[in-house]
Amino acid sequence: MFKAIVSAATLTSALDSVSVLVDECKIHLEEEGLSIRAVDPANVGMVDLTLDAAAFESYEADGGLIGVDLSRLEDIAGMAESGQLIQLELDEETRKLHIQIDGLEYTLALIDPDSIRQEPDIPDLDLPARVVLEGKDVNRSVKAADMVSDHIALGVNDAEEFFYVNAEGDTDDVHLELTQDDLIDLQVGPAHSLFSLDYLKDMNKAIPGDTEVTLDLGEEFPIKLYFGFAEGQGQVTYMLAPRIQSD
Amino acid sequence: MQFAAFADQAATIEAEPADLEIITHVAILFEETESDADLERVARFVQGRVFPAWDSTKLDIGPRTCYEAIARAAGQNVSADDVETSVAERGDIGAVAASYEFGTQRGLGAFGGGAASSVDDLTVTDVYETLEAVASADGSGSHDTKVDLLFSLFNQCAPEEARYLARLVLSEMRIGVGEGTVRDAIASAFEVPADDVERALQVSNDYGDVAVVARTDGVAGLESLSLAVGRPVQAMLAQAGTAHDALEAWDLAAVEWKYDGARIQLHHDPDGETRIFSRNMEPVTDALPEVVEFAETISKPIILDGEVVAVDDAGDPLPFQAVLRRFRRKHDVAKTREAIEVRPKFFDCLHVDGEDLLETSLTERHARLERVLSRVDGGGEATSGQWLTDDPERIEAIDADALAAGHEGIMLKDPSSTYSPGRRGKRWLKRKPDVETLDCVVTGAEWGEGRRAKYFGTFLLSVRDGENYETIGKVATGITDEQLVELTELLEPHVRSESGKTIDLEPAVVFEVGYEEIQTSPTYSSGYALRFPRFIEVRSDSDDPDTLERVKRLSEQ
Repeated sequence: MFKAIVSAATLTSALDSVSVLVDECKIHLEEEGLSIRAVDPANVGMVDLTLDAAAFESYEADGGLIGVDLSRLEDIAGMAESGQLIQLELDEETRKLHIQIDGLEYTLALIDPDSIRQEPDIPDLDLPARVVLEGKDVNRSVKAADMVSDHIALGVNDAEEFFYVNAEGDTDDVHLELTQDDLIDLQVGPAHSLFSLDYLKDMNKAIPGDTEVTLDLGEEFPIKLYFGFAEGQGQVTYMLAPRIQSD
Repeated sequence: MQFAAFADQAATIEAEPADLEIITHVAILFEETESDADLERVARFVQGRVFPAWDSTKLDIGPRTCYEAIARAAGQNVSADDVETSVAERGDIGAVAASYEFGTQRGLGAFGGGAASSVDDLTVTDVYETLEAVASADGSGSHDTKVDLLFSLFNQCAPEEARYLARLVLSEMRIGVGEGTVRDAIASAFEVPADDVERALQVSNDYGDVAVVARTDGVAGLESLSLAVGRPVQAMLAQAGTAHDALEAWDLAAVEWKYDGARIQLHHDPDGETRIFSRNMEPVTDALPEVVEFAETISKPIILDGEVVAVDDAGDPLPFQAVLRRFRRKHDVAKTREAIEVRPKFFDCLHVDGEDLLETSLTERHARLERVLSRVDGGGEATSGQWLTDDPERIEAIDADALAAGHEGIMLKDPSSTYSPGRRGKRWLKRKPDVETLDCVVTGAEWGEGRRAKYFGTFLLSVRDGENYETIGKVATGITDEQLVELTELLEPHVRSESGKTIDLEPAVVFEVGYEEIQTSPTYSSGYALRFPRFIEVRSDSDDPDTLERVKRLSEQ
């Protein structure tokens, strides 16, 4: 059983943050809300998303599991204006999702969850440094690095207490430092890791500029990047494995 | 089996110049492959194939997609353009892939997260399953998924593995292993006669399956393999020849019209499906609803060999380009069907109602064809005629009729010959009209200028010399603007690399080219050049360009 009414903006934010990594996903319809976990085909970047029942106008579910084609569902959600409400209802018999937006009715065929790539385990990481900053600063860092390179180094200088971004191109370099004053919060610790911008650019697309984003970092360790949406009733966590520094 | 072990043996095979030794190495590889699943894959991988030839699952990865994946796996600041530039310099994607140091992207698995995946080395199964996922990705976003998956494979590769993975991905293994090599290696590894392996390969069209059957059930297993309605086999092919050659060799010749159409193989089961395949065994069922409708009136399970010909409103044949417009179409079939009508012309019958006919004679097969189609509405019209004669003048007359009816000329076939799938033997001859044209494969192009800047403008022509292609000239005249658009669309999927305005193409499309004279010339690698070449049309015999030998002969006339 699954029946819910949700604002188009909330649903779209949730779907977009997953679709930057995968085309299809499993959605767990739990009593207390829905959750999605997915990893990209190369097993490098993963997303863990939860959206509480409280984020919905109304929500009823009893622990089902559905598989969806994300771009389809995004297209349908895109038919609604951001203030509009979307009604979702699962037909258990036909395994189809009935979607209503105002007078528009759409019946979406679901995908067999068994045919979708296995859900990832969440690595248990003990990351020594924590950086809390505004989404627009993440955006600025990624954009600047992308101008010169396809890799980005993120780190924390624990002696001088600042967070930095480095990108080295064939000819040009980019360096950005953000101190305690520029950040919302900084817990210093030894941290320096190199990441592929291919992934970080995609993840960045899902980060709203005015959101508080937390980055947990270590030395040559995955980054854990998380933020809330839907007035704090939704939570997205990304994890991205590092690249080995060649020099 | 570890993919590294496969790559290692592939390197040994590639380094071996002697054919017999190559067979021995391939046989050792087969013997040492323990599981049946791996043997099936390895028997295909050595030929640069991932899926069986009959399988409609195609890898279909363009060079650019592969370059993107390699660039991403290659580490900091290597772009797909860099990879393309290296390929243009070295001429081998394998050497380029082997020159990078992969594996700098770590996976979440190394940190106790992500999906369960082997942290161990890449296996043959890993490669196969990932490529299967690549082949099945479609729809919006599928390009990114394909790059992601290929990237994940390259990222796990040591240089030697990367060399053969890249070649496998682009279906150009180039280690000197052909179909005959695999046949002989299966025979040698599992101690079965090569002829039995050959027959089994012809009917099943599946090197992997045949290798496994030979190992587990020996000769008896191979003998039990047969044609299956719905599983395409390779088409029998013809050589160029003359009426004189034919009558000298066989006394009596079976003469048929040669249509300027596209080869099709029709599989129809009245209790099951109707499927149509191109000569490359690609499914073209959906593109040819007229043929499906015709087939559905046939009451027995059959496999037929024939051509589809495009016709105008008066029923007269249109050139091959018109058929192409229908053939590769996936969308708007109904609309194109209204504009261009196609008709089937069947000339051979491989299977009727549970009986394989490959081993019966040409005349007997044609009689069976006539019998099956005589019971069907329009069956006479869809049966290509066959005349038996020993009279050269009669052959001339049939040829004249065929040309007058707007077709290409005639085929001459040995009346007693059996059907040999995939063979270009001397039992079928195609007689070409004596005009000064050459069938050249297009191996390069240049972007046009001015209002033609978005299209290819000049085409580099080559002829075949054994396994290689040698250039012989460039053609830019005789092509209308409309044709340029079509030719560009036709050739773009075959782009290997681009540098400036020059494009390197994989040999896939054959042009019929007219010329005034063949001259010796140092400009082109064949040593010859065409004087005043002009484009005539795209040839349907896409894998059969003229040979350097024929060019030599023509130049001496």
